[in-house]
Amino acid sequence: MPGTSEYIVLGSILFALGLVGFVSRRNLIVMFLSTEVMFQGVIVNVVAFGRLHENLDGQAFALFLLVIAAVEAGLALGLVVLLHRRKSTLDSEAWATMRG
Amino acid sequence: MTATTANLLYLVFAFGGAGVYFLLPRGGRSNPIVGAILGLSTLVALLIVLGVGVIAPSPTTGCFYVLATIALFAAVRVVTHSRPVYSALYFVLVVVAVAALLLLQHAEFLAVALIIIYAGAILVTYLFVIMLAHAGGSSTYDRRAREPLLAVLAGFALMAAIAGRAGDLPAGQSPESARLAADVAYSSVFPDSNTMAIGATVMTKYVVALEIGGVLLLIAMVGAIALSRKQIPRGERPKPRVIGEIGKEVPPY
Repeated sequence: MPGTSEYIVLGSILFALGLVGFVSRRNLIVMFLSTEVMFQGVIVNVVAFGRLHENLDGQAFALFLLVIAAVEAGLALGLVVLLHRRKSTLDSEAWATMRG
Repeated sequence: MTATTANLLYLVFAFGGAGVYFLLPRGGRSNPIVGAILGLSTLVALLIVLGVGVIAPSPTTGCFYVLATIALFAAVRVVTHSRPVYSALYFVLVVVAVAALLLLQHAEFLAVALIIIYAGAILVTYLFVIMLAHAGGSSTYDRRAREPLLAVLAGFALMAAIAGRAGDLPAGQSPESARLAADVAYSSVFPDSNTMAIGATVMTKYVVALEIGGVLLLIAMVGAIALSRKQIPRGERPKPRVIGEIGKEVPPY
């Protein structure tokens, strides 16, 4: 059975991949999909830490992470629909009007 | 995990970063074949580096590495695929692999909840929005990433910072027999089913957080409805009709 370190490494890689996607992709939907990948990395991490400390706090925390992920997905997709209705594009660069 | 292993991990991460950089869509200049070769070799190297630390393989060892490979491959495809529908479908693969990894960690309830909530609910919402907003094919903004080099550098610096410290954990240094004993102890702490144990924890220790979570979901529902409703300008609103007159303009059947 691989120990906690392997799970931490896996979770950190998932989190970093999500970060790369969120920063570099320009499609709003793919950006939010990348945040979901980051959530997966965090869930792997907290459950691994919960097993390390032999209690259920990690799993309870992951359960609340699921709630936050659902809230985030609902609001983000509502925003995406709103923005798409305004400019009929999903390009995040179309909203760069505040760039200096 | 010794210092040598950490240094090897950093090296592997550098190769992985290069692979992701080549895989990211960069207009006409992307180089997917180089990226795929780099990425696959990175995966193999990562599995070897992580696998060297495991002395006595148990039946679940192979499962972990297979599932980790699937999760990482699918996550790379989510980030690098130029068509959003395929990104969403690869994300389902990430969710399924992560759920199976949770099963390996005795988190059965969470694994099932993850599949139901993510693959069943959130992904369907994403696919609906993709269908609504996307008129086939990949657009220019899907084929050109923004600052891929800087993004990869930031991501992989963060990853090295987290994963390099993973060796300092107590479980990382414990031998295999101690790990197995810890697993047995873990399941004996909660003799009932995992679902009952989680329910007891959430309903006693975290009951305030549970209530706040419910309120948060309600707020998000109201917010999503308010965001996506149709805006009617004030002047164009139809005049309210007098009660009792409604329907009188239509001739009776």
